[in-house]
Amino acid sequence: MIVIPFKRVIILGDSPLVEEYASLCHSKGFEVAVKLNAEFGHVKLAKGFKKIAKPTRSADIALELTNLSLATKKANLLALDATLPQGIPVISSSVAVTALEQTSWISHPERLVGIGALPSLISNSLIELAPSFVTSPEALKRAKEFIVAMGKTPAVVKDSIGLVLPRILCTLANEACFALGEGVASVNDIDTAMKLGTNYPWGPIKWAEKIGFRHVRAVMESLHAHFGEDRYRLSPVLRNAAIQNRIAGIS
Amino acid sequence: MIKSVGVVGAGTMGSGIAKVAAFAGLEVTLVDVSPDLLKSAMAKIKADVRSGVEKGKITATEGTEALAAIHVRKSISDLGNVDFVVEAAVEDLTVKKEIFSRLDAIVAPEVVLSSNTSSLSITAIASLTKSPESVVGLHFFNPATVMKLVEVVRGKQTSDQTVKTTCDLAAKMKKVPVVCRDTPGFIVNRIARPFYGEALRLLGEGVATVEEIDRIVKLEGGFKMGPFELMDLIGIDVNYAVTKSVYEQFFQEPRFRPHPIQRQMVEAGTLGRKTKKGFYIYK
Repeated sequence: MIVIPFKRVIILGDSPLVEEYASLCHSKGFEVAVKLNAEFGHVKLAKGFKKIAKPTRSADIALELTNLSLATKKANLLALDATLPQGIPVISSSVAVTALEQTSWISHPERLVGIGALPSLISNSLIELAPSFVTSPEALKRAKEFIVAMGKTPAVVKDSIGLVLPRILCTLANEACFALGEGVASVNDIDTAMKLGTNYPWGPIKWAEKIGFRHVRAVMESLHAHFGEDRYRLSPVLRNAAIQNRIAGIS
Repeated sequence: MIKSVGVVGAGTMGSGIAKVAAFAGLEVTLVDVSPDLLKSAMAKIKADVRSGVEKGKITATEGTEALAAIHVRKSISDLGNVDFVVEAAVEDLTVKKEIFSRLDAIVAPEVVLSSNTSSLSITAIASLTKSPESVVGLHFFNPATVMKLVEVVRGKQTSDQTVKTTCDLAAKMKKVPVVCRDTPGFIVNRIARPFYGEALRLLGEGVATVEEIDRIVKLEGGFKMGPFELMDLIGIDVNYAVTKSVYEQFFQEPRFRPHPIQRQMVEAGTLGRKTKKGFYIYK
């Protein structure tokens, strides 16, 4: 099977997701153009990335990695959709809004493929993709080829808020924050208990910090809105942690 | 300074705890009403020690000394002189209350009475004793000889001194103690609920298959086992019972609601590895 190589990649979205994906693409020899969302405009990017003010036509694939603001995500997708030639796929993070909902914003919905993008997870070997039912088979095929070209294993799952791993991780972190807020145990004892008692690679609160409390909050709020169930309501401790993106008492 | 420990109940947990305590240099009195259970517990401990010596993990002398430190008795009344008690009997509040009121009558008030319960209220267990401030939860994980963690559970009336004595003893037994309030599921059995609950919902909603969810959780998340592999290992019936218990104790909090798939697996008798059939087939 011949895979048309990926040479130029455009990456838009939230920090530090953009930097993580840009670094990986850069290490694979792709030419990377990035645009960080305005709220992270002052973040310094490592050398080797071209900063762009708006998407250009010259790209083989585009990534939209905004989880924290639906309005920004929509604006980024509209700009990509208006600029990129019709056949160029757009892989868009779909942990806080379904791929299907995103397709309703753009003129070429068949090019959009959802991805389970949360900060820090890229260091592992598998990446989830979630096509909506209007996503074209060609766009999904190209998205899978791109994940492989980044040196990762793609797994295709049904389009659903949080996909598989982000949903499990964020609900674990949310429960840990409920327990913390109720004074069940300290941050360190909760994290120690989950690492030693269940063999988790990280304690859930430390993990939420690595991902970013804001991203965890975005996933929980979307799950809550999507399912309309109390089960997914945000822990007040997590809501507060998302404000300064940190939690008191963590070491 | 704790020098001797009484262990009530010679089942899997009780015998494991007795072995850990003996290897920590403590004198252990292991009590059970069933002579058969006591016999099989000692046989198991001896076999473990023998294999430990063969594998070079312990010396023959260490093994002999540890075995000599374990004394088996048939009655709780033989625990009158121990410094610390660990109760590891069946998970039944009536049985535990009976054990604790009998212990309360024979030990000094400052002797800590701990329970290895994973699902019952320490506060309720302590309520029948004259010194509820000396009653505490000491939750070991299975297998007790291997798992480093112990949850030290502070009941409504447990004193700071009791918590400290218990944490010190856990450290002496080379365990890592974490302190938590007496709340349903303590830390681990509560916070782990979404790992299973969301995996079951993802399966029920058709987001991915059993195999795919396990693969994603391991390769994308770095977990050693996927939720379905783990449920099969724990026993789907056991996992379902824990979920139901936490759900009911939290007054039907929806975050802990069990999933119909779990119930159906239990109804079908496909309970995981122990029945050779669960979310996976085992040969």
